[in-house]
Amino acid sequence: MDSWVRLSAQSQAKDRLFRTAQYACTLLGYTLAKGGAGGELLAKVKQLEGHLSLGRKLLRLGNSTDALEAAKRAVHLSDGVLRLCITVAHLNRAMYFACDNVLWAGRTGLLPKLDQDKWSQRSFRYYLFALILSLTRDAYEISLLMERESRAGGGAGKISGGSLPSSFQENGELLPNAVTTERAPLLGPLSALVHRRLLLLVTVLRANPPLTLDLLKNLLDIFIPLDRLGLYRTGPGFVGACGLTSSILGLLTMVYPWLKLKP
Amino acid sequence: MDSYIKLVNQSQGRDRVFRATQYACALLRHLLRNHAARREVLEKLRRVESNMSSGRKLFRLGNTVSSISAVKQTMHLSDPMLQLCLTSTHLIRALYFVCDNILWAQSVGLLHSINKECWSRAASRCYLISLVLSLARDVYFFAQVTAWAAQMMEHQKKPLQPKSKAGEAACYPLLGSCIPALIYKGLKNNPPLILDALKNICDLFIPLDTLGIYETSPGMVGLCGLLSSFIGILTLLKPNLKLTP
Repeated sequence: MDSWVRLSAQSQAKDRLFRTAQYACTLLGYTLAKGGAGGELLAKVKQLEGHLSLGRKLLRLGNSTDALEAAKRAVHLSDGVLRLCITVAHLNRAMYFACDNVLWAGRTGLLPKLDQDKWSQRSFRYYLFALILSLTRDAYEISLLMERESRAGGGAGKISGGSLPSSFQENGELLPNAVTTERAPLLGPLSALVHRRLLLLVTVLRANPPLTLDLLKNLLDIFIPLDRLGLYRTGPGFVGACGLTSSILGLLTMVYPWLKLKP
Repeated sequence: MDSYIKLVNQSQGRDRVFRATQYACALLRHLLRNHAARREVLEKLRRVESNMSSGRKLFRLGNTVSSISAVKQTMHLSDPMLQLCLTSTHLIRALYFVCDNILWAQSVGLLHSINKECWSRAASRCYLISLVLSLARDVYFFAQVTAWAAQMMEHQKKPLQPKSKAGEAACYPLLGSCIPALIYKGLKNNPPLILDALKNICDLFIPLDTLGIYETSPGMVGLCGLLSSFIGILTLLKPNLKLTP
């Protein structure tokens, strides 16, 4: 109960909860439509989804200011690449919220002559740019950690060396189901390098849950603007599933603040 | 800017800002009601007000749990009168949120067969009772503060008493004219109490009008709602102005 009280006191947490419910409705609507459910139930789910969407737009009024303040703070980061990625991501987010606020005004009736489709496309474009920059930041952090890990581990040799013993029987013969780097020299140096890099990537991701969660969240979120902008159409079911999963991951970072990637 | 960010990051802060906007729209609609040329503006104000109201109902989902959690805390207060007032207030507020959530479900289309008018009146009744209990707590605090002020004044007059009986007799006529001074002295150092009482009095007009107990006008309701929302925002921006517990 204390966690709930703490969570619901934060505006962002409420938005995440409503986002989870909204994408759950999207996924449910798709599932019901596929399953041949009645029109009334589908209409209810669609109405709820629309209401949650408009409610979230209302809740997001003023978020542009928040994003601009975050951009101002990010300008002082010491690392050049992080500074660029995070600042520009926040600026894009501020533009996304500004377009979102205009859409709210249009849907409420304050701006009846607004071209909703045009502004919706605009907002998704800014959202896509913000996600691309967030993914760039994640990739940069991963590459730094992989480099650090490979230096600390003494390079690739130790990683491949570590897997050798488990793939050999006591009499020195290769185990039949062994997938080892013993085969790497047979496949070629490129495959060996890829294998080593993959192992390093898995090691880094396992040791850094906040980075892994952020990467996963951004990868899931990117399908939403890609679908809405027509760049990579997946379908409402897939968009709903991605949105729902990324919302749950976002909620996790609020319930367990240590899982949030900083800065 | 930092204060604004801190305010809107709190769920309650955003709700107060939206509430202020909702009642500002209600007040403006009342003021412009006779301007035929402003029909379009009136319609826009009505839509914004309606959107804010339904949005706030959405944000209040789950507030029942927060109220019940607050009950668990107030049950451990040492002062029995405060314990009674605050615990009852939070319980009634939890009931209000339940009614409010049902009304939200009806507005969204999840529940069709409920009597909206009946649940709306139930919500207004719960809101009224919670405000009356909050005012009872303010009156209790006010009585304590006035008693304290009276004690302070008695301490200041004490040196006169051993010297002359005339001084003692002179105290009693003074007490009659001391009461406004007592009230003033008591309240002067308690801005949180004044603000809380003012907020509750302003809020009281809303359910009184809705339930038809004391009908005013949409303009008066708008003005009272706007004032109480401003006071609520002030107590969030400056936590030392919030009456505790």
